[in-house]
Amino acid sequence: MPRLTKRRFLQLAGLSISNRVAGQVLPAPAARPANKVILVTFGGGVRYSETFAPEGLRNIPRLVALRPRGYFFASCINSGVLSHFNSTASIVTGNWQRVDDFGFQPPAGATLFEQFRKQTGAGPLDAWTVATNKSFALMGAGSDRMLGQPYGANVVLPKQLLLEAVQDVVKKGTAGGVADRDAVLQRLEGVLSEGYEGIGWTIFQAGRKLDQHVRETLIRGLADYINGPEAPTSGDELTFFIAREIMREFAPRLLLVNFWDMDVAHWGSYSLYLNAITKTDRLTGMLWDEVEANPAYRGRTTMLVLPELGRDGDRNAANGFLNHRSGDPSCRNMWMLAMGAGVPGGATDRPVHHIDVAATAAEILGVHLPGAAGQPLRELQL
Amino acid sequence: MPAAPRVSPALQALLEKGLLDRLPASFSAFCFDQMKEWELLFPAERSYFERLFALLDRTPPQEFDGTFRRLRDVEQRMGVNAKTFPKSRFSLEQVDFLNRSPFYAEWRTAVAEVFGRIDPALDAEIARAGHPRLVMVVAPAQLPADPSRMWTRIAARGRRIALDPPDDPAAYLPQLGATSIPQLYAAKHAEPYHSWVIQAGRSLAPDHPAVVHYSYEALAGYRKRLMREVQSIVEAKEVPGPRQLSDRLKQLKILASEGAAAGDPILAEFARAILLSGNGTLLINNTFVEWATMQAVRRARPTVAAIGFGIRNKVKPFSSLLIYEDQDATNPIPSQADVLGSYVDLEIFYQYIWQEFEKYAEYRTNTVYAFLADGMEEMLVIAPPDFSLPAGPLKLPAVAQRLKDWVGV
Repeated sequence: MPRLTKRRFLQLAGLSISNRVAGQVLPAPAARPANKVILVTFGGGVRYSETFAPEGLRNIPRLVALRPRGYFFASCINSGVLSHFNSTASIVTGNWQRVDDFGFQPPAGATLFEQFRKQTGAGPLDAWTVATNKSFALMGAGSDRMLGQPYGANVVLPKQLLLEAVQDVVKKGTAGGVADRDAVLQRLEGVLSEGYEGIGWTIFQAGRKLDQHVRETLIRGLADYINGPEAPTSGDELTFFIAREIMREFAPRLLLVNFWDMDVAHWGSYSLYLNAITKTDRLTGMLWDEVEANPAYRGRTTMLVLPELGRDGDRNAANGFLNHRSGDPSCRNMWMLAMGAGVPGGATDRPVHHIDVAATAAEILGVHLPGAAGQPLRELQL
Repeated sequence: MPAAPRVSPALQALLEKGLLDRLPASFSAFCFDQMKEWELLFPAERSYFERLFALLDRTPPQEFDGTFRRLRDVEQRMGVNAKTFPKSRFSLEQVDFLNRSPFYAEWRTAVAEVFGRIDPALDAEIARAGHPRLVMVVAPAQLPADPSRMWTRIAARGRRIALDPPDDPAAYLPQLGATSIPQLYAAKHAEPYHSWVIQAGRSLAPDHPAVVHYSYEALAGYRKRLMREVQSIVEAKEVPGPRQLSDRLKQLKILASEGAAAGDPILAEFARAILLSGNGTLLINNTFVEWATMQAVRRARPTVAAIGFGIRNKVKPFSSLLIYEDQDATNPIPSQADVLGSYVDLEIFYQYIWQEFEKYAEYRTNTVYAFLADGMEEMLVIAPPDFSLPAGPLKLPAVAQRLKDWVGV
């Protein structure tokens, strides 16, 4: 196991921004430069039975309403390792991943982010991952030595910021505790500033101005979150606000948003799990609203929405919705909804796979994924 | 090679014949790991391993090889060897190795096939020694549901019985025997660990030392200390990952001041494992009850079990970020009961609990399941054909007497 250095710990605990050394990438121009792709994953895992099965439709009203406008893949299969990091890493690389589950290894090979940036010459602000789990700190770039961090995506882990800020508020014994929005926001900003610079000293070398811009953008997302009409409750709402702010400020061409609240299922409360699914549905719908409202995205964005993995079936020995370790069909058989630019309406039962997502996104972005096992989804008429 | 674990003389004799060495490495390592803390296993677990190895020992060589052939083949393709799979260890590293293998699904299938061959013989032994068992699952009085909305996932498996509740609500559970039957059974039978009460609150609290009793509420002191200690371990950043954290957590044993379980090493370890390896058991009362019940069934095979759920609190903002903090201290907003959420949670737990019991031969065909809701005019009974109740509405003492008769107390 790799030794946990201070730098490594900070990287895992917080937020990492890819190396922003400018001018080192001079690839051929992209074939379809205007297209954008947003990948939205129901991270943490959700079952068919609580989503697109007849009895689950009530939990996902926004996706149900969006479905007729998109192409629905009724059988999207995760044939890989049923853990969070490996599942999402398979989605972003186009190959089934079997690396360390606790985030001590980057995805094997190259990610879509790196290929996209290298082949199109896209800048460092054109590829982002907004995720929750701290093990996703290494999701932005794979192990391919010819690519890696210089071409990787920025990785922002809003919940980790929230975690540090909230714990700090608790430690300080503020009168209102975590119900004091101002105190939480103040600490969020503080942690973001401290943690950001502490983690990203290579960014500092690349130029304080750019870093300041990123930081200010993220802080706006934090303020929207804390001062929103509803009391902020969880990490996914912050993930949404940060993702939306990144869209508004930097309009990246490639964005991965990994929601996570539904992993509350591990707590063993079915009602909390259902609530989290509905919240993710709502936030996904709000992301789509932003796509349609934002001129930088409207009409040229494809959004692919899919669960990272499922969860154990009710009849399974591994204890049903609480876990995702059995490998039964309830864990593996998922769905995917594609929406947006050029996507025809329709649906298919043809089995497709999580690794097809990267190949499909690559085709939309006009890049190749050498060595990827996944295939572009022909139903999308790319 | 490590020495075989210290087990019972009968099992020791079998192991000394080299049975562990004849098994595929992953199967052998799993068994070794499960048996290595022999003194912390329940009698039912010890009995299982004794019967399993006795069965393997008397299995003809050709049949033995046939049972494990596919698993051996898969292990070979996975790269299972003495280095990746030391026979003394089945830790997170081994689990991780299996999970990440491209052949994991095949491995699971092969393991299921092994048990598909072994279990019928072991189950037949159990069935021959079968005896009536009773499971009472009690829902709290505050649930906002009428009887027709209760136990909806399993109602078709049994029969709804109309009840005539007493005027005094406090008399409901006692009159049904939910508090007395576990005690009567424990008092009548000398063997330990056969009568269990697992509950969120204290309403089923037994008054007999031989009843195994775990209450989420009564374990508050232990739970809070565990949360503080885990928080301190995490904050100190002394453990680099989950594997090391797991080792540290094993040391956090219950103290005598925190519960009677501390006086029995098996029950003390059970309490620790439930609270630290279960999903959300430190945080949510009903998760504790469900998970403790699952583990009790898997490990101890109780003959009489009374399982009492409660109402969980609404989750406060940021709770998911503060899982090891006292929620009342971190947020001054008063806790509120989540009766609707609790109802939704319990509907699926009734199913999971019933299914878990029914997985084991000890329970099939001879167990009466009484699903009760405190104060409700109806109960659900899932029972073998030879258990009968007259048409209702029934007085509660009459029901209790029938349940007592079933388990012979």
